[in-house]
Amino acid sequence: MATAPDGTALRGRLFIVEGIDGSGKSTQLDLLHKWLVSRGYLVAFTEWNSSPVVRQTTKKGKDNKLLSPASFCLIHAADLADRVEHQILPALQAGAIVLADRYAYTAFARDVARGVDREWVRAIYRFAVRPTVAFYFRVPLDESLQRILVGRPELKYYEAGLDLGLSDDPYESFRLFQGRILREYEHLVDEFGLTVIDATQPLVQQQARMRKLILPHLKGVQKVEHRPWREVLSKEGLHGRYLDVASRDREEN
Amino acid sequence: MTRTLFYGHPLPGLKDTELPGKLIVVEGTDGVGRSTQIALLREWLEANGYAATETGFTRSVLVASGIRKAKRGHTMGDLTMNLFYATDFVDRLEKQIIPALRAGFVVLTDRYIYSLIARAQVRGVDAQWIRDVIGFALIPDVVFYLQIDVDNLIPRVVNSGGFDYWESGMDFLRGDDIYKNYVDYQTQLLKQFDAMAQEYHFHVVDANRNVPEVFIDLRDAIQTLIGDFEHQAGLGAATPPKKNKRK
Repeated sequence: MATAPDGTALRGRLFIVEGIDGSGKSTQLDLLHKWLVSRGYLVAFTEWNSSPVVRQTTKKGKDNKLLSPASFCLIHAADLADRVEHQILPALQAGAIVLADRYAYTAFARDVARGVDREWVRAIYRFAVRPTVAFYFRVPLDESLQRILVGRPELKYYEAGLDLGLSDDPYESFRLFQGRILREYEHLVDEFGLTVIDATQPLVQQQARMRKLILPHLKGVQKVEHRPWREVLSKEGLHGRYLDVASRDREEN
Repeated sequence: MTRTLFYGHPLPGLKDTELPGKLIVVEGTDGVGRSTQIALLREWLEANGYAATETGFTRSVLVASGIRKAKRGHTMGDLTMNLFYATDFVDRLEKQIIPALRAGFVVLTDRYIYSLIARAQVRGVDAQWIRDVIGFALIPDVVFYLQIDVDNLIPRVVNSGGFDYWESGMDFLRGDDIYKNYVDYQTQLLKQFDAMAQEYHFHVVDANRNVPEVFIDLRDAIQTLIGDFEHQAGLGAATPPKKNKRK
């Protein structure tokens, strides 16, 4: 069960992934998502920084370097709050599985690494639903740096922690900042009982471990029939050539 | 000099222990006349040689347009709205209010955290949570609370453009009778403000009276505050601003 802040148990399940950039958490969550859908579960996905109401403001703040540690903290909290109110909580009430790529723990790690008070960040996020399982993808700093810096040499201002003035060199700043974040994450493991996944293991092993860990939580979770028209097609010998049009219309309406 | 004191956790990264300016808050509900009084006070301060500046809700560079858009679409939940306003507030605190106070300005603030608390509580948001979230607010030198009865408020609101969706609590009250909801919502808000008057040491000003009468009360109170200010700054011998006593 996921648990609302006031202690009420919600019908759905909330599984979240956490870890520093380059820990491979998004890849694993995506694999988990596909598996759950293929098993017929009703699944909703949400990711950090994606609220339609708040996202543009955050982007504006980042692009124009308007954010201080405090406003960075609050605008990200606003983003999760909107997603909790409009996506996560309703889906959990409806008995769905919600998968979240990053959650409040990202804020606990990053904002504190920016010098924001530990207790204050935790107080702000008191509205956040408690996850059923929170996975933390543990990876050594050097390994994650290698993964990130190989694929994407252009580092963003806040991502590299350049607002903190740790170093003028973006790569050095990124390294120092990620190191701080990593240390905060390690504190969170005990404080919030995060489930640690060794992100240096082969991908397939990580996925197997995740599935094994969530399996006991899937009992009694809402299922839904995906592609319910399939049966008609096979029975009537149809091709479903207009189904694309139908799904496009649905999206537009 | 104003000592930098906070209601809760201090603002991250702020090193100043004292700020030479004065932080003056004008609180009160929609339509009570806050912006009129601030406009008059600002001019009066400047006429008497004091550098003054003003700020108010949703005027931050960072969040203003985001909040406006969200309000137009009526798409904000309670938590989101509170955090959005808190972001707007911290942005103005860090970029406008504190720099102005550091430079010795008198900062006139149209609404402060008390409006956020009142709105949140009327909507059933956890009272401690909202206080924790905005605990980084500087404790002002004075908080003027313009107190008014709903009966006196309504003609002013009608006169100044009618009932606003959000100021009528349409986002959470039932039914589509905006007049009824406005009265209901404002009555509840005023109750919250009145309850906060003690908790936060409001200087209560009777705003059922006309604009000149309210102005004189505010002006005299600020005069006293600035007198202390000059005294502390070692400017006690300077000529104080003239009081235009009404006859």
